[in-house]
Amino acid sequence: MAETVVKLRLNQQQLELIDRTIAEGVAPDRVSLVRLALREYAAARKADSAVESKR
Amino acid sequence: MTLRPIIAEFMIEPGTGKAVELLKGQILRVEQVEGGQCADFNCFNLHDYKEFMHCGRTRTVHGFHPTTGTFMWSAPPRERAMLYILEDTVGRNDVLFPRCSAYVYEASYGFAVHTNCHDIQAEAQREYGLTPDDVHDSFNLFMCTGVDEDGHAFMTRQTTKPGDHVDLLALMDVLAVPNVCGADVMKTSNFALKPLKLTVFAATDADLAKVPNVTKLASQRTPKDFRNPTIKTDRPLRRDPAYKAEFPNTPIIVTELPIPLAAEELAMFNAVKRSDIYGDDDAAALRDLLFSWWEERFLQAHAGAPSIGVK
Repeated sequence: MAETVVKLRLNQQQLELIDRTIAEGVAPDRVSLVRLALREYAAARKADSAVESKR
Repeated sequence: MTLRPIIAEFMIEPGTGKAVELLKGQILRVEQVEGGQCADFNCFNLHDYKEFMHCGRTRTVHGFHPTTGTFMWSAPPRERAMLYILEDTVGRNDVLFPRCSAYVYEASYGFAVHTNCHDIQAEAQREYGLTPDDVHDSFNLFMCTGVDEDGHAFMTRQTTKPGDHVDLLALMDVLAVPNVCGADVMKTSNFALKPLKLTVFAATDADLAKVPNVTKLASQRTPKDFRNPTIKTDRPLRRDPAYKAEFPNTPIIVTELPIPLAAEELAMFNAVKRSDIYGDDDAAALRDLLFSWWEERFLQAHAGAPSIGVK
């Protein structure tokens, strides 16, 4: 399957925060953490727009 | 209910204020006598006046109208809880407005001299050797304020009655300085100046038990942690020829982290990315998404405010 690569640019402080989050067991590595963030962020927006459309 | 022993009582008359030594475990009650009176308030560490209460930090933690169950915080880099609001019978205080000043009354009302909170604070603080430059942003007790649609702070009348009060419990030894707000030509104190009663109590065990635990962290620094712990004693600023900059975590180094996205993930990303802000810079949009997600999932305080770990 075709993949698109987005080159995230993070400084050492931002990397420290995501590495600490990984160390807490949220995701196994940096790439997985970003993918998890994307899935959860998108799911939350989808849920929000579903609630909005029912109003 | 155990009665609190009274340690001292003062009446502050219109146009005046009083610096009160309030030791750890003591309570300062600021009380309405006639009702409808705003009190401006300053507070310093009694043993180090360079540590003082900071409205900016206080309002980011507790909002624009701190009341019962909140703290008054000192300024960075100390950032310690100085006082705890143990009781507030009104629940309407302000940390938006600065103290009123002589300049306001001259510029807007034409007064050559007028009672004003800055000068009243300065005069009260002079009893302890402080100067007019040491007066800090005031916590305004009983002041009824808000923010209007165009982003300006506004003040309106208050509804306090005789006996209404705010009880401030000292979590460290402080110099507490309340004053009768000098504004009689504004709505702040319903267009009149009235006295306020101050009472210092010893806190009971029941009072002390109400104070939540606040996390203590290494970043709450004191002069022993400063590169320059010496208070400057003259007024001009001169460059230190021996100065070498030591900014923390510098240089900031950016690392590239390639994130492969499958077609389905890319579609998800395209649906939610903030193109309105980042245009076609997908790397910046993904970084925004990552940290926005992190805030939503892990941050336990309002963005920009410390998580104070109250249990």
